[in-house]
Amino acid sequence: MFARRRFAVLKNLLEYAGLEPGRLHFSWISSAEAQKFQQTVTEVTEAVKALGPATRMIKDIRKVA
Amino acid sequence: MSSKILSKDKLDAFLQGLKGARDVFAPAMVEGKVGWAAVEQASDMLTEFSNTEMSPKDFFFPQTECMMRFKNASGDPEGMIMMAEPALARPRALMNIRPCDAKAFQVLDLIFVQDEMTNDLYWRDKRERTACIGLACNDPCPTCFCTSVNCGPHHEAGLDLLLVDLGDKYLVKVLNDKGAELAKDLPAAAAGDEAKAAELKIAAEAKITGGVSMDQVKSREVMELYEAGHWDRVQESCLNCGTCTFCCPTCHCFDIQDEVQGESGRRVRNWDTCMSWLFTMHGTGHNPRGTKKDRVRQRFMHKFKYIPVKRGGEIGCVGCGRCVQLCPVNIDVRRVVNDMNA
Amino acid sequence: MDNAAIAKGIREAAKKLLGEGKVDVVIGYAKGTVPMRDYPYFAYTPEEAENLTWSGFCCNNLALYAIRRPGRMAVVAQGCVSRNLVGLVNENQVKRENLYVIGVNSPGMVDRRKVQALFPGQTITEVEEVGDELIVKGVGFAEKVARKKVMRQNCYTCVQRNPVISDELIGGEGPASHGGNLDKVAAPWEKLGSSERWAEFQESFKDCIRCYACRDACPLCYCHVCFVDESQPQWCGKTQDEADVATFHLLRAFHCAGRCTDCGACESACPAGIKMRRLTMKIEKDIRDLYGYQPGMAIGAQPPMTLFKPNDPQDFIK
Repeated sequence: MFARRRFAVLKNLLEYAGLEPGRLHFSWISSAEAQKFQQTVTEVTEAVKALGPATRMIKDIRKVA
Repeated sequence: MSSKILSKDKLDAFLQGLKGARDVFAPAMVEGKVGWAAVEQASDMLTEFSNTEMSPKDFFFPQTECMMRFKNASGDPEGMIMMAEPALARPRALMNIRPCDAKAFQVLDLIFVQDEMTNDLYWRDKRERTACIGLACNDPCPTCFCTSVNCGPHHEAGLDLLLVDLGDKYLVKVLNDKGAELAKDLPAAAAGDEAKAAELKIAAEAKITGGVSMDQVKSREVMELYEAGHWDRVQESCLNCGTCTFCCPTCHCFDIQDEVQGESGRRVRNWDTCMSWLFTMHGTGHNPRGTKKDRVRQRFMHKFKYIPVKRGGEIGCVGCGRCVQLCPVNIDVRRVVNDMNA
Repeated sequence: MDNAAIAKGIREAAKKLLGEGKVDVVIGYAKGTVPMRDYPYFAYTPEEAENLTWSGFCCNNLALYAIRRPGRMAVVAQGCVSRNLVGLVNENQVKRENLYVIGVNSPGMVDRRKVQALFPGQTITEVEEVGDELIVKGVGFAEKVARKKVMRQNCYTCVQRNPVISDELIGGEGPASHGGNLDKVAAPWEKLGSSERWAEFQESFKDCIRCYACRDACPLCYCHVCFVDESQPQWCGKTQDEADVATFHLLRAFHCAGRCTDCGACESACPAGIKMRRLTMKIEKDIRDLYGYQPGMAIGAQPPMTLFKPNDPQDFIK
């Protein structure tokens, strides 16, 4: 419940700074909700795949000078 | 060596000549700030400016510099492979360097290139492949104090050529063979031009009033200065940020880290600052400079006592005044040195 | 009351406090050695109190020096500084009983970069305050500039120029605000698309030299070990790579959530002129919108990031 406030502000901040909506997901899942967990992971994976490889906030040391 | 003349209407031709073999950089207005930028034509260069906000030391000592790359592919019979970083692709020329910043190059030469064992090729190679063309100051700032720290508004150290603004032309002082080559096509200066430049030098020096006194700092023992009472007051307001060290043309401390991604990586060095507690933190948990006072004292002692003691009287400060202008809490190096000298 | 009269009042109050032994130190401002840079000054004796001043160039946040400082101290505090002192009391970093607040209404501090921008390439040697104007002097010129034109942006939109706590108020209360609407300017990138936001963010922070002056000038940053200085693990790379610079600034801003009073000390300290309030303003706007909280307004208030309510917004959680 404390984390909920922090995540609300963090998500707004990251997306305000230009992180694409759809890269950051939050979900309430109880340890008894196996199916919801499976479904959520599938949805997150699909959403992130649809966005393509991340280019922001990425440090690729093979490329940097 | 004899001096030459560069007429201001020939400045662009001179620049284009330099550009034939080199990438040329000079102080320019960069988004409202006086900074260093690549220049294409003479009109890109600032001629009326006090100095750039940051020093040009990063042309030789970038804030982040890849030193080498490595890979350690699992199962690779050759094991760990290390790859050198390519050197500067094209020689460079820096135009309109202020004499204090050029003097700082010379001070840093003494530190990065001491002998066979202490011979920093990253610094040295860039220095060797860069032509340094200075622009003498005829109008020093109120925060300048170069004349009290082995430097001056027309100082020549660290430069290949020094330009002195004579109004419609520059007197070009040729300071070494590299400079002679750069200026070989320029006409010789008349005796009157040299005399005028000498007058401007005296006039510029006279404009610097906010100096520091160093005589007592020179003669006092290290421990006497180290244990002096005034450090308690100097350190009070200090934020221990890195502003003074990063804007300083002579501060040269760095931190080397290996960054690894998968099976490859790079060794990278970054500017570091003695103002940070982490700078001296040992793996044991002991920190020899554990307090803010230790760290603040270190910066001034290093510049004004340790470097002079170890480097034949050279001072680790060139009096550019950047830290005076930029310190967020106005810790004025002139005041600190005068306290050390009191 | 003008600044000179307030400065006199501060000096008198300080001399009295030090003379009577009520405090060990008075933390105030003294006149700097360069124009527009009055600096934090520690007066331990009535004689030293003579050096204290007050002006539109008092851009540091003195609450910083009260953090975990032993002994009794008096701190000169305009609205924002007093709010940070309240925050520090609430976060148990300052004991209220050890603190004597010399309150002052803030005239709105001057942004020295705005003044310099009016005189590009010229050397400013002295800046004098006369009422609502500054007289800017340099080599061969002296010009009047309206103070309003060169005030720090955060001072325009400030809503609390009067101290929220004070043991003594020098010069009486003044106007609470400059009339600027913070919510209107707090989050300008909200209207942009994601790519433009990222471009603006990169552009805003590209000159960062990682000196951490913004962190070190901030009275919220009192961790014994900052996350950027941790090495096991190393949360944030030390290079100038844009991802490292972005990581530092995003996390620094986030750590200020629900605590930042928009005092502007970070921007005033920055040697590169970076506007890092572009991030903190957005966070504080969210905190106001989501949790109805403004930091540092009342002793005893619980910081919003250490609280929750069952009905806190959670639209973002699926």
